[in-house]
Amino acid sequence: MSDNSRVRVSIVGVVIVALFASLFARLWFLQMGPEQSLGKIAISLSTRVIQTESPRGEILDRNGKVLAQDVAAWAVTVDRNLSSATRDRVLGQLAEVLGTPEKVLLANYTSVRQSPLAPAIVKLRVPLSQQLAIREHNEDYPGVHVVALTIRSYPYDGVASQVLGYLSQVDAFSPKEFKQLEAKGYRPGDLIGHDGVEAAYESVLRGRPRRETVQVDPSGKQIGPPLKVDPGAPGKNVQLTIDINVQKVAEEALAEGVNAARGLQDLSKATSGYAKLKPTGGAAVVLDVHDGSVLAMASNPTYNLSWWVGGISTDHFALLSAPGAQNPLLNRATLGQYAPGSTFKLVTATALNAYNVLPASQYITDNGVLDVNGFPFQNDNKEVNGQVNLQKALTVSSDVYFYTGAWDFWNIWQVDKARGLGIQDVASQLGFGKPTGFELSEASGRIPDPAWKTAFAKANYKTAEEIRQNSIWYPADNIHAAVGQGDDFVTPLQLANAYATFANGYASHVGTVWTPHLDQTVIDPMTKKPVQTYAPKARSTVNFGDAYSAMAAGFRGVVDDPKGTAYDAFRGLTFPAVSGKTGTADVTGKGATSLFASYFPSDNPQYAVVALVEQGGHGAQIAAPIVRQIIESINHLPITPVPTLKTAKD
Amino acid sequence: MASISAPVPRRRGAVNTHLFGHIDLALLALPLAISALGLLMIFDASRHETAIGGLSRLYYVERQSAAVIIGIIAMIIVMSIDYRRIRDAWPLLYLAILPLLAGVVVLGRNHGGAQAWFQVGPFQFQPSEIAKIVVIVAIAGYCHQHRGDLDAWRVAVAVGLAGLVMAIVYAQHDLGTMLVIMVCAAAVLVIAGLKPVHIVVMLMLAASLVGAAVVTGKVHTYQIQRLTGFADQSTKNVPAADQTATQFNLSASKAAIASGGFEGAGFGHGMQTKNGFVPEQHTDFIFTAVGEDLGFVGGATLLLLYALLAWRLWRIALLSSDFFGTLVAVGVLAMFAIQIFENVGMTMGIMPITGIPLPFMSYGGSAVIASFIAVGLVLNIHMRRFT
Repeated sequence: MSDNSRVRVSIVGVVIVALFASLFARLWFLQMGPEQSLGKIAISLSTRVIQTESPRGEILDRNGKVLAQDVAAWAVTVDRNLSSATRDRVLGQLAEVLGTPEKVLLANYTSVRQSPLAPAIVKLRVPLSQQLAIREHNEDYPGVHVVALTIRSYPYDGVASQVLGYLSQVDAFSPKEFKQLEAKGYRPGDLIGHDGVEAAYESVLRGRPRRETVQVDPSGKQIGPPLKVDPGAPGKNVQLTIDINVQKVAEEALAEGVNAARGLQDLSKATSGYAKLKPTGGAAVVLDVHDGSVLAMASNPTYNLSWWVGGISTDHFALLSAPGAQNPLLNRATLGQYAPGSTFKLVTATALNAYNVLPASQYITDNGVLDVNGFPFQNDNKEVNGQVNLQKALTVSSDVYFYTGAWDFWNIWQVDKARGLGIQDVASQLGFGKPTGFELSEASGRIPDPAWKTAFAKANYKTAEEIRQNSIWYPADNIHAAVGQGDDFVTPLQLANAYATFANGYASHVGTVWTPHLDQTVIDPMTKKPVQTYAPKARSTVNFGDAYSAMAAGFRGVVDDPKGTAYDAFRGLTFPAVSGKTGTADVTGKGATSLFASYFPSDNPQYAVVALVEQGGHGAQIAAPIVRQIIESINHLPITPVPTLKTAKD
Repeated sequence: MASISAPVPRRRGAVNTHLFGHIDLALLALPLAISALGLLMIFDASRHETAIGGLSRLYYVERQSAAVIIGIIAMIIVMSIDYRRIRDAWPLLYLAILPLLAGVVVLGRNHGGAQAWFQVGPFQFQPSEIAKIVVIVAIAGYCHQHRGDLDAWRVAVAVGLAGLVMAIVYAQHDLGTMLVIMVCAAAVLVIAGLKPVHIVVMLMLAASLVGAAVVTGKVHTYQIQRLTGFADQSTKNVPAADQTATQFNLSASKAAIASGGFEGAGFGHGMQTKNGFVPEQHTDFIFTAVGEDLGFVGGATLLLLYALLAWRLWRIALLSSDFFGTLVAVGVLAMFAIQIFENVGMTMGIMPITGIPLPFMSYGGSAVIASFIAVGLVLNIHMRRFT
């Protein structure tokens, strides 16, 4: 062999050494070096996590009555991958077997509120005979399955719907929100709480799903037993402060009140002829004045939570979303914002004394009208109340008394900005104009002051002159605010909490503002033992001072004094003693809002009760009788129907 | 018996009568060891394949074992014939392989598609595997005849010998084998004394041929895809369903090897291998089974065995008593080296994906038999180096 060939063979050797070296290097990189992480892809390719939802926790009322629970139900599902011809044929056959119109089955199948990734639930709660009819002829029903599902069941269906909230599939959320939920372990088709307690206590109620990590082949079929099992944990039970009996009565009373209001004349339209009120809904709240716990929270109109189970039908969804339905999903007790009318005089009365503007004992002359720089501010119905002090002013609802005080505040404001806004200060102390800290979503309400008015003008007017003019804090602004008209907005819950604060200061004349709450205890579903008990949270205190007695007597007189505005509404109720305040809030272009805020028993109060009906007329006509029914129910008394009073005074 | 205690010096005279005494035991043992590992890994990697095919669990192992045994017999037969007789018979061998190769093309055409094998009873015989060795022998034989006088025309003839076979193999749509033949022929020619100018001319020729093939559309889409699939490996975030088959092969293959780590998942425990995630795993992608189940330890050991094999072949190229022996040894060395590099390289994403089997490891009878014959030829050259 020539030397040249030797050299060339050696070169071949070098080349081959280089090839092997690169293979070794690459192998090292892949298995030991930076690309090792590729192996994780291998694991994600060959394993799947099968997730099964654990039973959701129960929601109980304060006496342990079940309000919402998971129950097993047999359902018929239809696969999504069927051709439309097969699907229609199958649905036609199912309609016959299940005794449900094909139209309904198809509506369920196509409902956008069911996950498009999971088989469609076309019928829930299928009896055994129908299950067997389908199962015995499975080959005739391609893509049809009879499956056991866990569904939410509501033993008191239709009661406390807005408080409890509904469940629906996570798919309803926007892709961005869904991504966040996915990070928390939600997957398409999973149920999640919307609104109410179901949403507020989602993390407590949901529990931990069972997760099985299984090996799969490339077609996704499971191979062998699971590699890893996280058995999960059932959701915990949440016991509420709600008393379902009181809640039920509150809702019924509210419905009766709304209905009764339909027979009343809309006095706001009296000048243009006779028109009847068109009440659009209402709310009622019952609070324990000593810790802020909510015994009842009613919102009208309402609906049945069971509509949502298994995906809401188009018809039912229309009942919830149609413009004429007045939004039954809305919890008006926390999200409705209303002018409080004369019920707001609690705030003004407190402010007049706290800032020593118009002492409780001082009498003024109520001629039915107060002239402010040539503008007349009148009492409702131009009633002349004569000599009134604070107590009488509350009992007979003398607007002139509070107009006078509010004007005084305005005049003080000219020289002392802080002291001049005493009404606004007390309103804030009593929790108005800001969230109460309640668990469910709530509105803040609004108490107007000069700063707000300026900001409002800036946001709504363009020219500097318009803004300047609309920024001026007129006497009328303060006067309207003092009697809960104009720009005052409160939620029924805020109003109830303010009266609860006054009520719990009965002995010391210092009221405590509690955080209203629904949660009482969180209970372990296995041991049935409480794992967490809610500790009532006091937010602040309000000192009512010496005026307390006069105010308490005034509120008592509203119900007890023959001249009291709610005397007729409570006539015949000898026990318990009730104190309260009517309110009739004018709403531009609509009938007045009927309000009644109260607490009882008058001596050593226990509960605060507020009722409100949109376009319900006078507070005494509709709201007060609703409150009376609620109080009667709490005290196990016979219920007095809401009377259809022809006239009433506010 | 006393004489036994005294060392008996090895005498040159024994060479003639005891040819098998001069056998390269290492070169004999390495293919056997690798084949044994190959059988184990085929058993491992065919779990899913046999399960979905409803085949016996040992289906592929049994068939591969038969091929190994036939291969060993073929190797012994090749070793028993003096390689110089094979050398002198190169034109016959070359002429014999052409109709076999062409026959497959015609048969394939009759079947309306690509086919590279004959059905022989239950087995499939792939002439292109044998053709690789025949081309090596033919060019080596031709160059041996004209050693020291390899002018341009003779180089052209040698290239033509390889080119004809390559053309037929290409007609079988077997691009991989064609490239292997090209590398073997090139290696033999380089050692045979190719002048630098010849090399340059041949490179230019090859480049223009490839260019023409691409431009005229003679190269199939899947062949281009395999090449681009190798170049574009950023499939990390692409769901399996959206990847091309090539990208999926590659990502599954790399993922399987990477998941092996240092020690591997253990024989039969790799989830990718066990559950059939790597396509063609018992054939072309057998190295992924080694990588996943036996880890870096197993993969590196296998590469080391191949490196030893290459070293023994290279050593024989230098030891050979004649020029033909050197050329054949280098040709076989090049054949194994390029197959190992291409096959293992493609599983790890540094080479494009082609259907080239891993010698002695991949399931496939023709390839195993051809590999044994190739080793037999080189063993033959080694043991007759003194005769």
